Amino acid sequence: MALWAARGLAFSLPLVGVLAVAYAFWSASRPWTGPLLVAASVLVPLHAVVMPLWRYRVHRWESTEEAVFAAEGWIVRQWRIAPLSRIQTVDTVRGPVEQLLGLSTLVVTTASSSGAISIRGLDPGVASEAADRLAEITRRTPGDAT
Amino acid sequence: MSAAGAPRLVVDAPADGPSTAEVPWRRLDPRLIWADALRVVLSMLPGAVALFVFDQTQGMTVMPLLALAGWGVWGALTDAVRWVTTRYRVTETHLERRTGLLVRSHRAVARELIRTVDADARLLHRVAGVRRVTIGAGQTTTALEAALTLDALSRDSAEELRQELTGAPRERAAEEPPALAAFDWRWVVHNAFGIWAMVMAAGLLWGAHFTLGVFGFDLVGWFGALRDALGLEATAAALVGGVVAMALLGAVGMSIQFLTAQAFFRLTREPGEEGGSVLVTRRGLFRTREVARDESRTRGISLSEPLLWRWLGTTDTSLITTGAFWWSEGVTILPRGPRRVARRVAAAVLGDEPLTAPLVRHPAAALRRRLAWALWATGGCGLALAPLGGRAWLVGLAVAAPVTLGLAWAGYRSLGHAVSGPWLVLRSGAMNRETSALRRKAVSGVCVRQSPLQRRLGLATVRVSTAAGNGSYAARDLAVARAVPLAVAALPEAAPFREGDGAAPARIGSGRPAP
Repeated sequence: MALWAARGLAFSLPLVGVLAVAYAFWSASRPWTGPLLVAASVLVPLHAVVMPLWRYRVHRWESTEEAVFAAEGWIVRQWRIAPLSRIQTVDTVRGPVEQLLGLSTLVVTTASSSGAISIRGLDPGVASEAADRLAEITRRTPGDAT
Repeated sequence: MSAAGAPRLVVDAPADGPSTAEVPWRRLDPRLIWADALRVVLSMLPGAVALFVFDQTQGMTVMPLLALAGWGVWGALTDAVRWVTTRYRVTETHLERRTGLLVRSHRAVARELIRTVDADARLLHRVAGVRRVTIGAGQTTTALEAALTLDALSRDSAEELRQELTGAPRERAAEEPPALAAFDWRWVVHNAFGIWAMVMAAGLLWGAHFTLGVFGFDLVGWFGALRDALGLEATAAALVGGVVAMALLGAVGMSIQFLTAQAFFRLTREPGEEGGSVLVTRRGLFRTREVARDESRTRGISLSEPLLWRWLGTTDTSLITTGAFWWSEGVTILPRGPRRVARRVAAAVLGDEPLTAPLVRHPAAALRRRLAWALWATGGCGLALAPLGGRAWLVGLAVAAPVTLGLAWAGYRSLGHAVSGPWLVLRSGAMNRETSALRRKAVSGVCVRQSPLQRRLGLATVRVSTAAGNGSYAARDLAVARAVPLAVAALPEAAPFREGDGAAPARIGSGRPAP
C-alpha cells in the first residue's frame, strides 16, 4: 500500500509544487491557481489514502501450470491472462521506491507489442521464486511464442 | 576480401565456415551512374534557363535553383561512391553486404530471418533499367529501418536475388500466375476525395505560385485580375465557389497520384520457400514497387471502412501479419477500393470466409455508454464557447449535438463480434469501422477491462493481444455474460479463471499483507 501511495504522491506532488511556485511568483495567475491549490490540498491526501486501500482490495494474481493471471486497477479494473506457452521473458524488477520498501515487481512479456503484465508490490522472495517457476514451466511447455 | 578486413562490423558477420569463404562477392549495377549523368543535366536545366533566358539574378529566386542543381550533383556522387564501394553476396546461411567509403560497414542478415524482399524503381531507375532491392527481416520494432537495401541491381539480378531469398522457383516466373486482384479504373472514385485533397490543392497552388514566381509570373496578381475581370465580390458565394474549386483541384491531384502509384496493380499468390507461398503486389506507373510477403506469417486480415464514404463502400484492406507494422508497405495488400472486392480478396487470402459470419450485436447498454460520452462532449463544447458571451454556447450545442449523437449511434451500430471456426471476428469504430478477423491460435493474451460506467451498465471490453498487426484487437462493450466465454474462446487457457467474471480463486499480493 505504501508503494502505491508513494507512486501516487510522486505524480501529484510535483504538480502541486508547480502550482505553488506559479502562485507565489506569477501574480497574474492567482485567480485560477488559488482555487486549484485549495482543491489539490484536499484531493491529494484523499487520493494518497483511498487509492492504495482500494487497489489493495482489487489487485490479485495467480499462476497455474498453464497461464498467469493478474487483476489490477481501482477505478478502471482489468483482468489479464497470458498463457505460459506464449511467454517470452519473465523478469523481476525493483525500482528505487520498491527497494526502499523491500518489494519487487514481476514482469511477464509475451510476443505481443500491446504491453507486458507487471505485477507490482510482491515480496522479493515470492517474486523471484515465481519468476524461476514460470521460467522453468515455459522451458518445458512447447510453444511457438507467436 | 575476408571479413577480418572490415574495420567495423554493424551486425557481426558469422564465423566464416570453409564453405562460405568461397562464395564470390557481387557488385551493384553501373547503369544507374549513366542515368545519374542525365539527372545532373536535368537538375541544372531550370537554373540555367532562369539565369540565361529570363536573366533572373535575385538571390531569392536563384538560391532554390542552385539547391536543385546541388541536389542533382550530390545524388549522382553518392550513387557513384556507393557503386564503387558496395559488395554483396548470398551464402548458404546469410545475406552479406559491405559498403561505405569513410565508415565501412559489413552487415549480415540470416536468410531464415528474411521476411520481405521488396523491389522498387524510381523514374531514374526505370530509365536505367535497374531496381532498388529492400530486404526486411522483421526487426523494424527497434530500428525503424529495413534490414538492408541494395541500390541498384539490374532488373534480372534483382529478380534472381528475390527468387534466391524467397525460394520461388525460377521457371514459374515466366508464366503469369492468376491475379487475386488487379487494377480497376473505377477505384479512382474511392481515392479522389478526402481531407488530403484540400491539403494537396493548397500544396499544388503554393508550388505553382513559387515555380512561376521564379520566372517572373505573379499567380496571386493573376487571380486578382481574373476576379476583377469577372466582377466577383468577396461574398459567401464566391468563398464557397473557391472552396469547391480547391476541392476539385485536390481531387484531380489525388486521382493523378493514385493512378501513378497504383497503376498496373496486381496481387498474386506465388510459391515460396519450403512449400509455402508468398503474396506479391506489383504496382506503379513511373516508380514501380514490388512487395512479397511470406504467407506463413499471416494471422488474419483487417478491413477498415471510413464513415463518410460508407455509402460508397470504400474499404481499406490490410493484412494482420507478424514482423510488419501498420505503416509499412507490407500490410497493404489492396489499394482503397470497393467493399465487394476487399471481401473477395480477404476470402481468397485467408482461404476461408470468417468475414461473412453473422456478428453478435452488443447490448443496448453500449449505446447508452456512447450517448453519455456524446452528452459530455456536447456539454464541453457549450462550456468552451460560453466565455464568448451572447448565444455562442447555444450555437455550439446546436452544432455539436447532432455530430456527437450521430457518432455515438454510428459507433454503436458498428459494434460486433463472432467466433467462426478458427477465427475471431471483431468489429468496432465510429469514424472508421474496422472489422478484423484474427486466427484464434495467434492470440497470446486476454485482457478484460471495466470502467465504473461499464460496471453500472453491465458491460466489459475484451482485448486480445497478439504478436501480429496492431498488437491487440478489442471487442468493446459486450455484455458481461458474454465477455468471459469470448475470452475463453480466444484463449482456452483462460478457462480455469472464469469463476465470477474474472475475480478468480487468487492469492492476495505476495500471499501476506504488504507493509
